[in-house]
Amino acid sequence: MAEIKLVAEARTQFGKGAARRIRREDKIPAVLYGHGTQPVHITLPGHESMLALRHSNALFAIELEGESHLAIAKDVQRDPIRGFIEHIDLLAVKQGEKVAVDVTVNVVGESAPGTIHLVEAQTLSLEAEATHLPESVDVDITGLEAGATVTAGDVKLPQGATLVVDPEHIVVTIAEPRGEAAAEAEGAEAEGETAAE
Amino acid sequence: MLIPRRLKHRKQHHPSRSGAAKGGTTIAFGDFGIQALEPAYVTNRQIEAARIAMTRHIKRGGKVWINIYPDRPLTKKPAETRMGSGKGSPEWWVANVKPGRIVFELAGVPEPLAREAMRRAMHKLPMKCRFVVREGGAI
Repeated sequence: MAEIKLVAEARTQFGKGAARRIRREDKIPAVLYGHGTQPVHITLPGHESMLALRHSNALFAIELEGESHLAIAKDVQRDPIRGFIEHIDLLAVKQGEKVAVDVTVNVVGESAPGTIHLVEAQTLSLEAEATHLPESVDVDITGLEAGATVTAGDVKLPQGATLVVDPEHIVVTIAEPRGEAAAEAEGAEAEGETAAE
Repeated sequence: MLIPRRLKHRKQHHPSRSGAAKGGTTIAFGDFGIQALEPAYVTNRQIEAARIAMTRHIKRGGKVWINIYPDRPLTKKPAETRMGSGKGSPEWWVANVKPGRIVFELAGVPEPLAREAMRRAMHKLPMKCRFVVREGGAI
């Protein structure tokens, strides 16, 4: 995916009050760090940043005081209830550099009739070139029977990406759905437990 | 019903109800969830009632996760008792839920079924809640 340009301003005021003033102007406080350099505190445009972050593992070109810095989003802090972005951590990267990122697991296909799939790992840690980070990895479960598992080693990785996690790490399991009776039985079993006085 | 097996102290102070949830605010296991929008003490009976409402509606298939645990005892003095003479006896077990917390999660069912099952479960809970869907992005 092509890099997304964001025009940033340097931030000179810090703390809760300054951050709230920035957010009131529909901007987002952010920090850019990496490669052993001093962290740079910046302000990003609110709406553009929100749209850019809809792409997972997007590569940003941060325009700051006439210079362009390549970066990826390392962490995004959101308000848990209203969902707006409070702060972004950006990791500076270089062309050709390999970075470890969490990539979303996307299940494709349908398992055998009468079975359900459970995604045990919602993300996979991969090492890939910073300028060609995958948005997601597809896990094909077509025709798998109950009891089958898909491990990290079985997942077809995008070109140039390598696994960071153990290849035996379970990603998806196929199971038979439990009936209502089984769920009720479990509930009754839990009811039998008493509190120690 | 969920009840702690062992406890260190039978009677505790009331848990704080102020503030928002510090963690457990995103869907971790399933595809759909119920998110609390208000602070509340959720009793083990309410958790069980919500779980039953959900599992009975989805009938077969799907997996339900309960992300909260009622580990705080609340006490109550008997009726028509004068003040004083010590703290009352433990009456309820509650989970201290704060706004933003994902209370239940569900996977393995289509969205319309999950939405209806969780709507039924929300009626059993003492606070305002909303239905949430897992977001695609890793961050």
